[in-house]
Amino acid sequence: MSIKCKKLGYIYGQGTPFEFQALKDVDLEIEEGSFTAIIGQTGSGKSTFIQHINALLLPTEGEIQIDEYTISALQKPESLKSLRKKSGLVFQFPEYQLFEETIEKDIMFGPMNFGVEEEEAKTIAKKVIEMVGLDQSYLEKSPFDLSGGQKRRVAIAGILAMNPDILVLDEPTAGLDPQGTKEMMNLFKIINESGKTVIIVTHDMNHVLTYCDHAIVMNNGHVERKGTVKDIFQDSAYLNQLGIDLPLITHMILDLNKKGFHIDSSINNIDDLVEAIGGEIHG
Amino acid sequence: MDNMTFGKYIPGNSLIHRLDPRLKIIVLLVFLISVFFDAGFLGYGILGCFVLVCALLSQIKLSHILKAIKPMLFMMLFLMFFNVLLMHTGEVLFTIGSIPIYSGALLQTAYIFIRLVLIITLTTIMTSTTKPLDLTLAIENLLGPLKAFHFPVHELAMMISIALRFIPDLLDEAKRIMKAQASRGADFNEGSFMEKIRSIVSLIIPLFISAFQRAEDLANAMESRNYNPEATRTRYKTLSWNIIDTFSLLVSMIVSCGVIIMSFVL
Repeated sequence: MSIKCKKLGYIYGQGTPFEFQALKDVDLEIEEGSFTAIIGQTGSGKSTFIQHINALLLPTEGEIQIDEYTISALQKPESLKSLRKKSGLVFQFPEYQLFEETIEKDIMFGPMNFGVEEEEAKTIAKKVIEMVGLDQSYLEKSPFDLSGGQKRRVAIAGILAMNPDILVLDEPTAGLDPQGTKEMMNLFKIINESGKTVIIVTHDMNHVLTYCDHAIVMNNGHVERKGTVKDIFQDSAYLNQLGIDLPLITHMILDLNKKGFHIDSSINNIDDLVEAIGGEIHG
Repeated sequence: MDNMTFGKYIPGNSLIHRLDPRLKIIVLLVFLISVFFDAGFLGYGILGCFVLVCALLSQIKLSHILKAIKPMLFMMLFLMFFNVLLMHTGEVLFTIGSIPIYSGALLQTAYIFIRLVLIITLTTIMTSTTKPLDLTLAIENLLGPLKAFHFPVHELAMMISIALRFIPDLLDEAKRIMKAQASRGADFNEGSFMEKIRSIVSLIIPLFISAFQRAEDLANAMESRNYNPEATRTRYKTLSWNIIDTFSLLVSMIVSCGVIIMSFVL
């Protein structure tokens, strides 16, 4: 499931006095099986872009190709539903989409919409609720009795239950506690390692460095840069100018190198950094 | 959903935009009354011209007004359907199968259609040329005399302005929830009747929950700022009645009252 965009553009409220061009000339390719981060300031078009991957917004200019589906301003596939089964989109604050009496039913909503039998959907619900770190006793509870963080997990479970080939996440960890954030990000990593394409919109550069392999930088509806995470974080001056902070680890390496160290700036975890510093001091 | 134009303010600086909101409310009210007086097609012709002049002066695109009428079409068709079937006045014009169609029924149906179109058009012109908060201010101002009878004018105006304030928010929220459910396979456009019902439920429940949540948050925010409806307050914005308002009032009164008088004479 690779994603290709050619000259993709989107205008909100076309033909009304409130017309607004949110995306323009977006050219990019997201490889199958990659873990891609989309970064950029608020209003840079990130959320608008990811809704195209799910055909929730249809391009007003150019085209987007998702696997065998091509969607352009002029043509759209006959069934958007089958595309939506392949690419699951978790919106920002997805807890607002819960509505069923029990968590089990809510998780089953997605799969059953795509034609999965009830019994099978129940089995899926049991599996995904544990994936998101809640035990099976939760299945019988009402989603409205949960805490905010638990609701978030249930909502994400509802998307995972559809077993999408592409998982798109819009700031999935906003407002979660540090422990919950870590668990969620590890879950997405595991899903990515099982062969799925994961695309995440995030403002936390530490996550980008630790978990993602590719990054897309957006600004004012354009794609400004794309490449591996390592390459993107090389140019700290450029990122600062866009209001993006470097990850703490990269920041520290750059500071150390200024003082005469020679540490590889692509290091993405604390252990390697400690070892590299140790190597420089003792070596 | 993106096409929701009914009740949306469109910034502009036309003559209608500049008129006093109090005037617009009075004119609309009197117009609504006159629309329901039966002055034949001539009367509706006059009222139609009045609406057309307002539309032209407001510089609002015709497409915008048509968009506002569109959602009402279903209701109009529904009303007409029953009207034509169930009304038995006048003479039988023709029969469809074994159902006789009466001339009176067709006439009444045409009247209903015209009335609805006129009402929606003029209301759309008013709401798209007047900021919601100006409207509320005008309502509070017009109801002012009722304060003498301990009628809670300020509270009512506050409630209206809160309701108006949250319409766009709730629409956005509905859009967001629809999208979230659509990505879970809910089908709002295609699918069987039962599937559609299920999709609607998946929209309505989260929408209600979020509306209650917002209401609670707002109530807390107001209370924590010590909001007191009885306190006397000054306004940042004040209304001013100009000569053009008096003139517009006279013109529209002549038109509306003329039609009402016509309906008695004819």
